[in-house]
Amino acid sequence: MVPAVEIHDLHKQYAGGVVALKGINLTVPVGEFFGLLGPNGAGKTTTIGITTGLVRPSGGFVKVLGYDVVSQYRQSRRRIGLAAQELNFDWFFPIEELMILQAGYYGVPRKVARQRTAHLLELFGLSGKRRVKPRELSGGMKRRFQIARSLVHDPEILILDEPTAGVDVELRRMLWSYLTQLNQEGKTIILTTHYIEEAEKLCDRVAIIDHGRIITEGSPQKLMAGQNGDGLTITIDSWTEQTARALEGYDFNFTDGHIRILIPQPELRLTEIINQLTSAGALVQDVAISHSTLEDVFMELTGHGIDE
Amino acid sequence: MNNIGFMTFVLRELKRFLSLYNQTLIPGLLSTVLYIVVFGKSLGSRIGEIKGTSYMDYIIPGLAMMNVITNAYSNSASSLFQAKMMNFLDDILITPLSGLEVSLGYIMGGALRGFINGVLVLIIGLLLTDMTLAHPVLILVFLAVVGWAFGGAGLLVGIIAKSFENIQVLVNFFLTPLVFLGGVFYSIDMLPPIWRSISLFNPLYYMINGLRYAVLGVSDSSPWWSLFVSVCAAILFTLISATLFTRGFRIKN
Repeated sequence: MVPAVEIHDLHKQYAGGVVALKGINLTVPVGEFFGLLGPNGAGKTTTIGITTGLVRPSGGFVKVLGYDVVSQYRQSRRRIGLAAQELNFDWFFPIEELMILQAGYYGVPRKVARQRTAHLLELFGLSGKRRVKPRELSGGMKRRFQIARSLVHDPEILILDEPTAGVDVELRRMLWSYLTQLNQEGKTIILTTHYIEEAEKLCDRVAIIDHGRIITEGSPQKLMAGQNGDGLTITIDSWTEQTARALEGYDFNFTDGHIRILIPQPELRLTEIINQLTSAGALVQDVAISHSTLEDVFMELTGHGIDE
Repeated sequence: MNNIGFMTFVLRELKRFLSLYNQTLIPGLLSTVLYIVVFGKSLGSRIGEIKGTSYMDYIIPGLAMMNVITNAYSNSASSLFQAKMMNFLDDILITPLSGLEVSLGYIMGGALRGFINGVLVLIIGLLLTDMTLAHPVLILVFLAVVGWAFGGAGLLVGIIAKSFENIQVLVNFFLTPLVFLGGVFYSIDMLPPIWRSISLFNPLYYMINGLRYAVLGVSDSSPWWSLFVSVCAAILFTLISATLFTRGFRIKN
């Protein structure tokens, strides 16, 4: 099956000399919820820009449902809806008219555009504001309007560049649940974020990008499983020969009354380990389960945090 | 060709300047009335006839062309420049519209504003004077072709401009002098020979006199030569601006 987006050996050097992409390869199958995770300046927005036609590639290619974004841009662009990071809108028109116009640029007849606009404004809770110009909307409303507008030509693929940057918790939850719903209805969703929790929560698969290169990709669970963050920290009253023997076979160390055991999916082995320790005569005083996060994955692979 | 897309974009350009009528339609009309009152009705009576028409009738086609040129130019230049500066040009660039379609949309927006302004000036002329129209079809042709040419020139400047000042500087130091020296208010026969010869290198002289012929039936230059110059300007500005826009010059990284 043709992938929703296929990126092959993509390079970009800007006119000023800045090298933004150093050979990116990515394949996003149809129907996937995909995350591109990386710090600011890693190359996320450049990748999105080339895919949507805003930036010209220096080398390599991007195909959208099999259509090359440079030579077959009419077919590729029709299939993409973009919600960009910046909230800039044509300031001359009220939002309803803006959406109808935008649909028109994509070739949607005005009558159809009108119906879809009414539906989407309703869905995003903006019906009451339809005669208002974008600059009179609050930040959260602008974000909702932007996502609503990106759907007005009914694209198969929705690309969101940092959709929840600067958004309050309530709206973030609403957007997350709405994006999940869109994905369940069959839309392929690609989002960029430097907000790790977002990628973990929403994405089937993520790729980590840093300094213009893809460092790793996989499901969040798989990426996190390779990390040392999963484990148990158990506090016991005293350390004896027997306790050490009880933990034979585990990767562990003991310091200051705390046993740290590295183990994937620690919750599944919790009872077993506690039973073993108790049988060995130790008194378990406290137990803490820890999981690695994509932040750990990111740190491990790049040597720096995502917000640095 | 993305027909619906292109027509929608032209509609956007049209709606934009119609909604800004206070800046795009009224000023031209107001200054026309002032010119007619001051130059035509008062000073004009001391100038007498030029080529068998009253001075007031003589300047009306010039005023119309002046409005066509400045309005067409300003429209495409500002519309593109605003979209660039306010970063909403991206909303157009991500759509399936080709660079050529977007360029032609901007040019048509300018041409339409120029055309409407030209027609309105002539209507004022008809209302305030006893002028009659000699060649109505040719009038529409000149208004459309010259509007198109300066829609193209405006697009070109909108692409190149790095500040809003750039756009206005070109009006003040280039367009306005060329319009005035192009014979809006006089016949070049009234000039000393050297200035007369220099005027012949001003393309706006042909455009103004082309419309003058179409309206009054008299002019300094041959109407067909005037039409030729106007069509060449339209083609030239369209080619240069559309090529730059399509290649993404100062538009895309």
